Amino acid sequence: MPSPSSIPCLVVDDQQTMRSLVRTGLQQLGFRTIHEAPDGEEGLRHMLARPVQLVISDYNMPKLDGLGLLRAIRSHPPIQKTAFIMLTGRADKELVQRAVQFGVNNYLVKPFTVGTLKEKIEAIFGVLA
Amino acid sequence: MTLGLAGQSQGYDAEPRKIHVIQGQFHVAEGDDVVLTTILGSCVAACIRDPLTGIGGMNHFLLPGEAGDEGLRYGVQSMELLLNALLRKGCRRDRLEVKLFGGGHLFDGLSNVGGQNSDFAERFVRDEGLRHVGGSLRGDRARRIQYWPGSGRARQILLAPTEAKVLVTERRAPVAPTQDSGALELF
Repeated sequence: MPSPSSIPCLVVDDQQTMRSLVRTGLQQLGFRTIHEAPDGEEGLRHMLARPVQLVISDYNMPKLDGLGLLRAIRSHPPIQKTAFIMLTGRADKELVQRAVQFGVNNYLVKPFTVGTLKEKIEAIFGVLA
Repeated sequence: MTLGLAGQSQGYDAEPRKIHVIQGQFHVAEGDDVVLTTILGSCVAACIRDPLTGIGGMNHFLLPGEAGDEGLRYGVQSMELLLNALLRKGCRRDRLEVKLFGGGHLFDGLSNVGGQNSDFAERFVRDEGLRHVGGSLRGDRARRIQYWPGSGRARQILLAPTEAKVLVTERRAPVAPTQDSGALELF
């Protein structure tokens, strides 16, 4: 049973407010090491410098969007196995299918609850301690 | 030309085409022939535009978005959908101008949702680094808002206290025009 405190995370979203909300949700679930990035480029830079075990990324972002970030992570061997949850603003089947093709582990449609966030993470890591 | 939910375009008319934005929705439009309208009690509407492209939009949300099991929704979602729609149409985030309206506390004795909505909207704009260029929040009156995305002009019409009851109707269906009782031109 993994402890959330042992799973470092990266939250990537161009909206500070959404990053804060996801951070607060993760903190409520027991996560302690939470980094943030405002777009895919920054997120990738962060991953290459300081890899994490879980990335929660928005899809709609400037510079490099969520799909671009996912593809970049999957193409860099040192970080390619990082768990990746895509945040989407709407239930877009085509987007989710493309994300699955690129190796996304799960997706989360906004708005979502902390309970749903927990379910999506547990589907990847197992039941959290 | 109108973009977004309606997805239709039409030629120039002397009378602007009115698009009513109801609770939980947003609309993006451009051009001088369109006016976005809504009626607000405790709800808040954000009117956001890029002055260079002349594209703008309005949303209308019922509750703020705060952290909590049921909290990652409403205002945050509404603001994000509107911003994403604007950015997709070529607006640039660093040029966006925001006007905020609504957030009234209409009935004594009830929790001040309007105040919470207002606080959220102001905090959102500040945290996101957007330019808050005007509007009208809080107070104890319902409002009718008209917003011309092409020019950024906004007009607020305060409704008489007795007209607040129309807001209950609005939650079920778009509200028919009522008699104005305090027009105020803003900006």
